[in-house]
Amino acid sequence: MTFSTMLSTMAAGMLRTGGIFVLTLLGSLPLGMIIALLRKSKNPIVRGIIHVYISVLRGTPLMLQLLVWYFGPYYLFGWSIRGWRFPSLILGFILNYAAYFAEIYRGGIESMPVGQYEAAEVLGYTKAQTFLRIILPQVIKRIMPSVTNEVITLVKDTSLAFTLAYQEVFSLAKQISASQTSFMPFVIAGVFYFVANYGVQFLMERIEKTMDYYR
Amino acid sequence: MIIEMKNIRKQFGALEVLKDISFGVDSGEVVSIIGPSGSGKSTLLRCATFLETIDGGEITYIGETVAHTDGSGKAVYVPHKEMRKFRSYCGLVFQQFNLFPHYSVLKNLTDAPVEVQHRSREEAEATAMELLRKMGIADKASAYPYQLSGGQQQRVAIARALAMKPEILFFDEPTSALDPELTGEVLKVIRQLAEEKMTMVVVTHEMSFAKAVSNRVIFMDGGVIVEHGDPSAVFDDPKEERTKQFLRVFER
Repeated sequence: MTFSTMLSTMAAGMLRTGGIFVLTLLGSLPLGMIIALLRKSKNPIVRGIIHVYISVLRGTPLMLQLLVWYFGPYYLFGWSIRGWRFPSLILGFILNYAAYFAEIYRGGIESMPVGQYEAAEVLGYTKAQTFLRIILPQVIKRIMPSVTNEVITLVKDTSLAFTLAYQEVFSLAKQISASQTSFMPFVIAGVFYFVANYGVQFLMERIEKTMDYYR
Repeated sequence: MIIEMKNIRKQFGALEVLKDISFGVDSGEVVSIIGPSGSGKSTLLRCATFLETIDGGEITYIGETVAHTDGSGKAVYVPHKEMRKFRSYCGLVFQQFNLFPHYSVLKNLTDAPVEVQHRSREEAEATAMELLRKMGIADKASAYPYQLSGGQQQRVAIARALAMKPEILFFDEPTSALDPELTGEVLKVIRQLAEEKMTMVVVTHEMSFAKAVSNRVIFMDGGVIVEHGDPSAVFDDPKEERTKQFLRVFER
C-alpha cells in the first residue's frame, strides 16, 4: 500500500470521525440543556430520574455504553435491526455527552447571582424571557472554557467507535497497521486528531472572543 | 394613594420579619424608611414590589387590591395574569444595582420597555436617552456596566427603573454599596426626582438625606413601625425611646 492510498483511506475515515463528532454535538448540546432544566424541575420523580441518568452515564465507561446500545436490542428483546450500528453509536455518544453538558450547564446556571433574576422579575420579564434574554447569554460566556474541554475530549472519544467496528479513522489505523505491519497509520491518525483539535480550539477561542465585550 | 399596605405579616420559617405593618404613600410623596439592619425594611420593600409574598394583610395599588387575607387568614394574590399590571406600577432600585452586564447602558434601559411593555424601539430609545441626560450620563449610553463607576451604575439602575414609567419607585439602600464620594451623586439624582414629584420610598442609612428630602419618615425596628411622622418630628423630637437610641448612634 502506497503512502498516498493510506492517507486517502484514512482521510475518508476522518470524515466519518467528523460525522460522529458533528452529530454528537448537534444532539447532546441541546439535550444537555433540556436535562439541566429538568434536573431543576419541581416534580421529584422527574428530578430523581434525571439524577439516576446522570449518575449512570457518567459512572460507567462510554465504551461499555456503546456496546449496550449496539447489542442491547438483540440480547434484551431479540430484535436485530438492520443498519443499527451507526444509529446506536450516535445514540450512545449523544446520551453520554448530554449528561456531561447538563452538569456544565447546571453549574453555569447556579453560578448566576440571584440579583439578575430579581432585577428581571421587577422589570416584568416572564420566566422564559428572563432565562433566554438575561440568564442564558451570561451562562454561555461562563461555561465556554468547560464546554471547550468537553468538545476536545469528544474529538478523541470518537475513537471508541472502533469497539463497534465502525470504520472511522482509529479503526482504520489499527487495521492498516496490522495488515501492512506499519507504524505510519498511527502517526497519521495522531496528526489528524491533533489538527482537528487545533481547529476546535481556534474556533472556540474565536467564539469566546465574541463575548469579551462585557465582564 | 399609590400604594397602601395594611397589617402586613411576613415570616421566614419561625422568624417573624414583619409584624402587622401598615403604611401608605400618596402620589408625589417621598417616604424614607430608616432603622437598624434586620428590622424588616428591605423585606417590606420586597413585599411591596412582589419579590416576596406576604403571609397576611392587604396590598392595594391605586385603589385596586393585589393581595388580601381570606377567611382562613392566609394572604391571597390576584391571578398571575393580573400581576403583570401591578408589577408595572412599581420599580425597584437595588443596593447592588443588578444591571445586566451583557447589555449596553442603553439596552439596559430599553430592553424591558420593548420586550415587556411592547413599546416601540424608537420611543424607548428616546425615553432612555432623555433619562440618561437627566442622570448626567448620556455619554455612557453605549458603554457596558463594568466600564462604569459604582455611582454611574446606580444612576443607570435608577434610569432603568424609570424607563418603565412606574407610578412609584422603591429604593433599597441605594447608596450602601458606594463610597461617600459616589453616594453624593446618587443622592443628588434622587433629590432631583423628588423635586419633580416622583413618588418614592427610600430605605436608607443617610439620615441627613432622609431629613432633607422626605415628606415622611418611618422608623422600623424588630418588624414593626416604631415611629412614623414628619422628618423634623422624628429626627429632632422623637417620641419613642428606641428611636432616640437609634438616632444617637448616628449623631456620634
